[in-house]
Amino acid sequence: MASPRRRPAMSPVAWAIGPAVLLFVVFFVIPFATMALLSFLSGNPANNPNVSFTTRHYERLIGDSLYFEALVATLRIGAITTLVALLLGYPLAHLMARIHSRVGHALLLMAVIAPMLTGIVVRTFAWMTLLQDRGVINATLMGWGVISEPLPLMYNEFGTILALVHIYVPFMVLTLTGVIGRIDERLEQAARNLGANRFQAFLEVTLPLSLPGILAGSLLVFALSISAYVTPFLMGGTDVLTLPMLIYQQVGASFNLGFAGALGVVLLAVSLVIVVAYNNVLGRFAGGEKMA
Amino acid sequence: MSRRRFDPVRAAYLTLNGAIVAFLLTPIAIIGVFALNPTPYISFPPVGVTLRWFDKFFTSPEFMNALWLSLQVAVAVLILSMLIGGLCALGLARGNIPGARILTACFMSPLMLPAILTGLALFQLYLLLDIGRPVWGLIMGHTLVAVPYVLRTTLAVLHNFDRRIEEAAAVHGAGPLRVFFEVTLPLIQPGVVAGGIFAFIVSFDQFPISLFLVLPKGETLPVVLFNYMKFDLDGAIAAASMVSILMAILVVVLLEKTIGLKTYVKL
Repeated sequence: MASPRRRPAMSPVAWAIGPAVLLFVVFFVIPFATMALLSFLSGNPANNPNVSFTTRHYERLIGDSLYFEALVATLRIGAITTLVALLLGYPLAHLMARIHSRVGHALLLMAVIAPMLTGIVVRTFAWMTLLQDRGVINATLMGWGVISEPLPLMYNEFGTILALVHIYVPFMVLTLTGVIGRIDERLEQAARNLGANRFQAFLEVTLPLSLPGILAGSLLVFALSISAYVTPFLMGGTDVLTLPMLIYQQVGASFNLGFAGALGVVLLAVSLVIVVAYNNVLGRFAGGEKMA
Repeated sequence: MSRRRFDPVRAAYLTLNGAIVAFLLTPIAIIGVFALNPTPYISFPPVGVTLRWFDKFFTSPEFMNALWLSLQVAVAVLILSMLIGGLCALGLARGNIPGARILTACFMSPLMLPAILTGLALFQLYLLLDIGRPVWGLIMGHTLVAVPYVLRTTLAVLHNFDRRIEEAAAVHGAGPLRVFFEVTLPLIQPGVVAGGIFAFIVSFDQFPISLFLVLPKGETLPVVLFNYMKFDLDGAIAAASMVSILMAILVVVLLEKTIGLKTYVKL
């Protein structure tokens, strides 16, 4: 094989992406196109020959404030989750990027990655055992006589957000660590030599330089948390209604595929904006230094 | 630098981080308590130690069928995503494809777009094609979200290795196939394997896509757990959760042994 730099023409190795392209088109592009198409149809063309184009699913979506409120609730839960995940994730990411002990670094990494690789259903269950009326927190506080009635920790937005933060903090930490790790520690040292104290050095050197990481991590956590289904369903009770919950309801209970599709298109549109922004942030940050 | 002197700022910094690590790990650890606590519902503090929940989990045909299906699907996803993702990484890194960067972003996008929508979209497509909900359809859905992990780890390895090794082999008379099998493949193998391990656990834990694509009585373990939890919270869920947690710990150890967790973080 000749060097690629002298010969910019495509090499036969390019064919290796074939299976991935096929997978991507057949099981990703076509299904999403189907979803978008169904959202404009009056029924399922597979079993109903008299299907016509309609915008009634979108009219219903706009006409009923329930759906708008669900969208707002979804975005609000996503935003609060992202903010809290950033506040908890930043210090840990900073420590991981700056720790000198190799063992310490490996242990911290494991502490972050092991929860991330535990299933979402399992982690939601963990929070239910902690937050329910007879759960760990309420039972302990009542045992100590601090409270006489269990605190309403679950079946509301609070419990939902707490569990979501726990589930998505690792993504924030991993994104931030990569970015903070690439900031030269000597810059902060130089600021301190010039008379800045530790806080000033952090606020004026490290924090601004880690802004791409903050942005990328926040976009990632936001994208993940607005599409969560299990946690709001189990932890939110009747208090929380999000877009993903509505979507599954339309399929599981009402079997209204067109309307589910319309709700899906709305969630997809929000997510696409986030994905494009995320790739822009990371692309600009990485610059030409790596292709991946 | 006097490290011995007590430094209140550093102490506060470390305490804060200790608390954050505790926040990450305590909920997972607490499940172990409920898996062993004999009361018929989740209650705290524990009153004893029993293995009845593990017994209930491992003797229930419902749980066992689900566990077996989840394992089978995860193994299929592991193999498929290593093949598809490994090849794709090679093509992207070595094929001089115009717009390789945008293509990479496209292939990674199933990770960022809501998985629940991927599930819904596949469900609608299968319904339109009238093919029912076959297991291979579920496997392909999982593979779609698993390939990005293999792609990521393999691209990382490809990015780090020196192309001149391949060129040296070619200069010394090795044909393209021989270069591939004796130089390139051994070099990218850790990346592909690590990605495969990720693919396995991603599939094993996958929920939103499975929710739409499984049949009643043919559900994967996370879906069975979810349906059970809607009505009942007892130690059997905790015992089942322990299986998932142990699997995650095993995966972390395996990853550290194959490429090192650090490589994963660098991306």
